[in-house]
Amino acid sequence: MSCNSCSTKTVGLAEYASPNALTWCPGCGNFGIQVALKQALVAQGVTPHQAMLCFDVGCNGNGSDKIDGYRFHGLHGRILPVAAGIACANKKLTVVAEAGDGATFGEGVNHFVHAVRGNFDITFLCHNNENYGLTKGQASATTREDVAMNSNPDGVTSTPIHPQRLALSLGATFSARIFSGDIAGMNRVFQAAIAHKGFAFVEILQNCPTYNKHTPHEWYQQRVYNINETDHDTSNRAAAVAAAEDINEKVATGILYQDPNSVPFMMRDAVRKDLGAELIDEVKTYDITPYTSRMR
Amino acid sequence: MHIQNRFVVKVSGASGQGINSVGETISKAIKETGLYSFGYREYPSLIKGGFASFQVDFSSAPLASSSDKCDMLLVLSVSAFSVYYSSVAKDGTIIHSVIGLQQSEEQQKYFSENNIKVVFVPAQQLVKEAGGHPLMVNTFLLGVLWQLLGLSFDHLIEVLKRTFAKKPEVIELNIKMLEAGKIFQNENLQPVTLGFEFHPEIVDEMIISGNQAIALGAVAAGVRAYYAYPMTPSSSILSYLAAISHETGMFVKQIEDEISVASLTVGSSFAGTRAMCGTSGGGFDLMTETVSLAAMTETPFVCVLAQRPGPATGLPTWTNAADLLLAAFAGHGEYPRVVLAASDPQSGYVLTQVAHNLADVYQIPVILLTEKQIAESHFQIKDLPPAIEIKRGLVAEDQLESLQKMDRYRSTENGVSLRWLPGQCAPTFDANSDEHLGDGSLTEDSVPAKEIFEKRMRKLEDLKKVLPDPVLHGEETADIVFVGWGSPKLAVTDAIDLYVQQGGSLKLSYLHYEYMYPVKPEKLQQLAEKAKKVVFVENNGTGQFAKLIRMESGYTPDDLLLKNDGRPFFVTEIVAYIQQSEGKEA
Repeated sequence: MSCNSCSTKTVGLAEYASPNALTWCPGCGNFGIQVALKQALVAQGVTPHQAMLCFDVGCNGNGSDKIDGYRFHGLHGRILPVAAGIACANKKLTVVAEAGDGATFGEGVNHFVHAVRGNFDITFLCHNNENYGLTKGQASATTREDVAMNSNPDGVTSTPIHPQRLALSLGATFSARIFSGDIAGMNRVFQAAIAHKGFAFVEILQNCPTYNKHTPHEWYQQRVYNINETDHDTSNRAAAVAAAEDINEKVATGILYQDPNSVPFMMRDAVRKDLGAELIDEVKTYDITPYTSRMR
Repeated sequence: MHIQNRFVVKVSGASGQGINSVGETISKAIKETGLYSFGYREYPSLIKGGFASFQVDFSSAPLASSSDKCDMLLVLSVSAFSVYYSSVAKDGTIIHSVIGLQQSEEQQKYFSENNIKVVFVPAQQLVKEAGGHPLMVNTFLLGVLWQLLGLSFDHLIEVLKRTFAKKPEVIELNIKMLEAGKIFQNENLQPVTLGFEFHPEIVDEMIISGNQAIALGAVAAGVRAYYAYPMTPSSSILSYLAAISHETGMFVKQIEDEISVASLTVGSSFAGTRAMCGTSGGGFDLMTETVSLAAMTETPFVCVLAQRPGPATGLPTWTNAADLLLAAFAGHGEYPRVVLAASDPQSGYVLTQVAHNLADVYQIPVILLTEKQIAESHFQIKDLPPAIEIKRGLVAEDQLESLQKMDRYRSTENGVSLRWLPGQCAPTFDANSDEHLGDGSLTEDSVPAKEIFEKRMRKLEDLKKVLPDPVLHGEETADIVFVGWGSPKLAVTDAIDLYVQQGGSLKLSYLHYEYMYPVKPEKLQQLAEKAKKVVFVENNGTGQFAKLIRMESGYTPDDLLLKNDGRPFFVTEIVAYIQQSEGKEA
């Protein structure tokens, strides 16, 4: 049922263009992220018919109709299990899910935990701007301690979630961090994530010019460096955890960890792993007499 | 009340004493001897201890309900004795293996008033002497029971052999225990004269639970992904589908919570396969946000909602049907959905397939209700009905080229738009949970928002036209028309049959609903005009279906027969209601 003719077609950036006008605030990190995503999809030879872009609710989700490709714009915090369901049903699709830090580490944190465990074959772009932008700047689970936000005028008192520490501790098979001002870096990391077999977690340090005054674009620009230009061993989980720790002074970006032997969810499933067909191609009437005969 | 042409055996003990397996063995062996049976399970929400029972009503005529009292009670534990002693009918017998059992004054009074014999069988000692394992006390007592019933041991042994096919080493020993039980003698134990006519032609009938039938309905319907989080009484759909998944190839997964379960179901369905999920009320509560999402994105969604008593954790392992209004009104916002209700394995099997066709063709959520009483009871049936033709409502491959960008959510007369799948070479679209235009592009403008809302809601009008009317059992003109949905059908139709057989003077009929929402009140209103009395029979506390009917049509029934104590309607209760009405008539 899937599109086969597209696989030989060449794809260009124009095919991902949408006639709908973007609605993000001037200077928002989302502009660059969208550009880099398009570049990475094109570079990986993924046509809009093969691209399955899944959006959570938030500022980034508002862009779901401002890029081409098949798209699903779900509920707040819930996009990962929807994307997982799609990826399981049709492995030929390139499934990319995007969500903010509010959704991912607040309402959807359990989905994140289990999506990492499951190693579903999804690229997950987590837009971490350390606040809830679309609801006007409330604190998220990654907002730094003591920072005053809408609804937290005296500053956040809970310990923030460190996304890399969390993902790596859960056994993520791919964990990367990149800055929304680094389009070339995003392109490179997104491509590796799309090519990765399994759940590829990409945390994007995203500036929010309207609500995040604490870590603006320039703040990140002065602190990030490309860890893949050092002697960092991306197959060493402990080294990745150590390298990811600092989010205040020297902030490592790039691919922090990748398991070269990653086996995605469907290929771990005892029933499905050796069956070549996709679930979407198997819908037909099945004979039940082998089962009813045992009930007689 | 004892029912003619029925004998009722109940096996009871603690959870973990193999009560369920003895019950299953009895059901199967009864069928093998050429009789009809209905098996009803009660068990607590714990793994070891407490009290559990398996009641088998059997007869020479087909039956699908339980009596409230049993004729013979086997007891393996003290707690089961104190819970179930009063479930024994007048002139009944209790056979127990509880060493040193003390009877309270109240118990003794009940036994003497009702002429009930209580017989101790030193089963532990006899099993030990015969070289058996302590757990084989239940097999020993089964031997005692079978001898008293005068039924063929050959059939029983055949069933045991099949049950233990994978553990051949225990077969011989179990047969030995049966035989030891067979020769047990006690002056108070007299053979029972059943007087039943045997039907050797029914030995090939099936013994099936409602959940197995729903699972097989999913298999037949081409469901290729089943997701669930364990919750009684839906769990056995998950475990059964998982057990046969190497044969079916179905992707069967236990997922971390019901929100994810519903979301994966929406995702897989959106991608283009047939997916299904199952849960009970509490889990469904968590899913409702996603049900709303499925409706908004016009993604087919099928969920089995296996009911048990709430609120909250409620009575986790008991039965009722109080989630109809939850299903009918689940989720935020207004949107079309279909609610179906199974009442037995046949309807569970058929409605599961119907649910998928409706979900696919109308691109809506469909909720299939069942109840613990249906889900886990053991029904003896001839066969499941033939499979239903699959209808997907997808754009044909050769039509993809003619698709226009705005087609996916284009406004149409019946509200159903063209649907095609991600991956296909066709115009792409956005399945958008925000209100949207034809291609899924977000809109906040009033005119298109109104238009697409009305488009979606028109599906409901079309559904009202195509969904079947309720089915009438009995005559169009009746003194009492019973109206019900779900498991009460079993007790009511059995009761009407019994009443007719006994030459009762009232004319009775039963109107059964499977298509619960959108509501179809017309047939009911026609019958009500001719009936002396219309009674809604519901296994809930407030008459939810009667409320729904009244809301949609203004119709109010004459009476409500409700039950909300975790137990199903017993056939005897319905018979008593009819007799009471008869008395009023006279």
